[in-house]
Amino acid sequence: MLNIQNLHAEIDGKEILKGLTLSLNAGEVHAIMGPNGAGKSTLGYVLGGRNGYEATSGSVDFDGQDLLELAPHERAAAGLFLGFQYPVEIPGVSNVQFLREAANAQRRHRGEAPLSGAEFLKLARAQAAALGMDAEMLKRPVNVGFSGGEKKRNEMVQMGILNPKLAILDETDSGLDIDALKAVGEGINRIMRAPDKAVLLITHYQRLLDYVKPDFVHVLADGRIVRSGGPELAHELEREGYGALAA
Amino acid sequence: MTVLDLPSTRQEAWRWADMATLRAAAALPPTPAGVDPADLFLDIDGPRLCFVDGVFEPAHSRPGPVEVTRQIAATDHPLGSLAIGEGWALHLGPEHAATCIQIVHVGTGGENHVPARILLADDAVATVVETFAGTGWANRLTAIALGKGARLMRSVRLVQTGGFVSIRDEAEIGEAASLVSIFLGAGGMGSRIDGALTLTGKGAFAEMGGALLTSGTQRQEAAVAVRHEQIEGTSRQIWRAVAADQSAASLAARVEVARGAQQTDGEQSLRGLLLQRTATVNLKPELEIFADDVKCAHGATVGELDRNALFYLQSRGIGEAQAKALLTHAFVADALARIGEEPVRDAFAADAARWLEAAL
Repeated sequence: MLNIQNLHAEIDGKEILKGLTLSLNAGEVHAIMGPNGAGKSTLGYVLGGRNGYEATSGSVDFDGQDLLELAPHERAAAGLFLGFQYPVEIPGVSNVQFLREAANAQRRHRGEAPLSGAEFLKLARAQAAALGMDAEMLKRPVNVGFSGGEKKRNEMVQMGILNPKLAILDETDSGLDIDALKAVGEGINRIMRAPDKAVLLITHYQRLLDYVKPDFVHVLADGRIVRSGGPELAHELEREGYGALAA
Repeated sequence: MTVLDLPSTRQEAWRWADMATLRAAAALPPTPAGVDPADLFLDIDGPRLCFVDGVFEPAHSRPGPVEVTRQIAATDHPLGSLAIGEGWALHLGPEHAATCIQIVHVGTGGENHVPARILLADDAVATVVETFAGTGWANRLTAIALGKGARLMRSVRLVQTGGFVSIRDEAEIGEAASLVSIFLGAGGMGSRIDGALTLTGKGAFAEMGGALLTSGTQRQEAAVAVRHEQIEGTSRQIWRAVAADQSAASLAARVEVARGAQQTDGEQSLRGLLLQRTATVNLKPELEIFADDVKCAHGATVGELDRNALFYLQSRGIGEAQAKALLTHAFVADALARIGEEPVRDAFAADAARWLEAAL
């Protein structure tokens, strides 16, 4: 589904990713772990297409498409979802309006009929309920005044509504208490654990991996994958720290 | 030729005024406006008045309690004092109400001047919606006096395709009375929205604000002074300016608190958004306070669209132009949200949305 070959990327002329190679198949959950500054968030932004995060060489193939050639909204329409470490507050735009515009923009892009207001509300309410988010919060401006946990739940509600093929979740576990962590973990499993979908979890800690069991774990250090293994690698990292393993 | 008496941009209060566009609009020979006044009225019940080139048009009007009268201008304001002749007046007795009054001004070229007067006796209530369309120079003076507990909600949209609109409001707001005037500049004309609001009674409320949207080489400005003369008054000046291309939007807002006007609560929020770096937003907040127990919050900021928010929207599948439109709309929304009646608020929001669609 996602095939990253020898990817180099820079921000403001500074190289952050230095030849990253990684491949995900449908039905798989991968976790990327690594110390601060390894390039984890940069990887998410480069794959999402953020301005200023420039891929200088290498290739990224997403279901037969050259991902790096697509604009950010086209990547979303192709089935990519980027979960933000710090979801952005947008005063003046309600969650419902934002998500309906997003869902219908994606549908139009794929040549599908847009959802009516009633159809969309039904979908949004169901996803909010599944994540334990009060339906009233759908009417509030996007993430404004939301706690850290509410923002991450809101990311999962968005993911449920947009129903992507590939989710790249950047530090989705940061800032969560244990209940929210559980709800978010269950959300990821419910929405994304399917034979035709894949997940790339970018995380600093092992704790989310107690809820979302990865099939593969990779260690990212200094812009490259330095080690790959099964779920046991995450425990090893938690025990011994990144220093020993990355060396 | 009235344009000879125009203020000079060398005067501080007129430094951002686009007098060249005003002169050009005044010199424009009349051409059919190409708009049907009937289309400019919102679909709400209430009295209607239509002025074409400053002349009352009975065919499109049913004025109800509003009188069409000749008036002389009792002001020394350089543009307001030119607004003499036929105009309209609304006088409401105590506890009377007149809501959803709509006034449509259509210009076809040249200059037109219309004076207006709104006098509300104690506890009277009125709402007025004004629309400026067409072209030419439309010059207006509106004198407002609110008795004890009277309430006036006024919404004014400038959607002329070209030309210039100058508006001068002079208001006296009595004890516990409330005046809210919200303006939207979303056409292709130049503009000067000029206001002097005086809170003459205890516990009065005065608000004047709105959104100016400029593109091309257009210039719009608002210059408002609010004067608190009595205690416990509240005032709000919430303005948003969005400027694209080489245009300029300017906001000058002033709060004066007289000696003894204690427990005044003033808020002034001037915010500008540049859609391109070639555009200009000028902000000039001023406070002049002679009382010591006063709260006057003020903020003035100019910036560009938040890149984080833009990427967030794009990452969810919303294209760049649509994402910019959403964020820009949200930026002006809180200024327009002050409009009390939902259909009016929706119509103004739709005008702003149309402007954004064209500008982005």
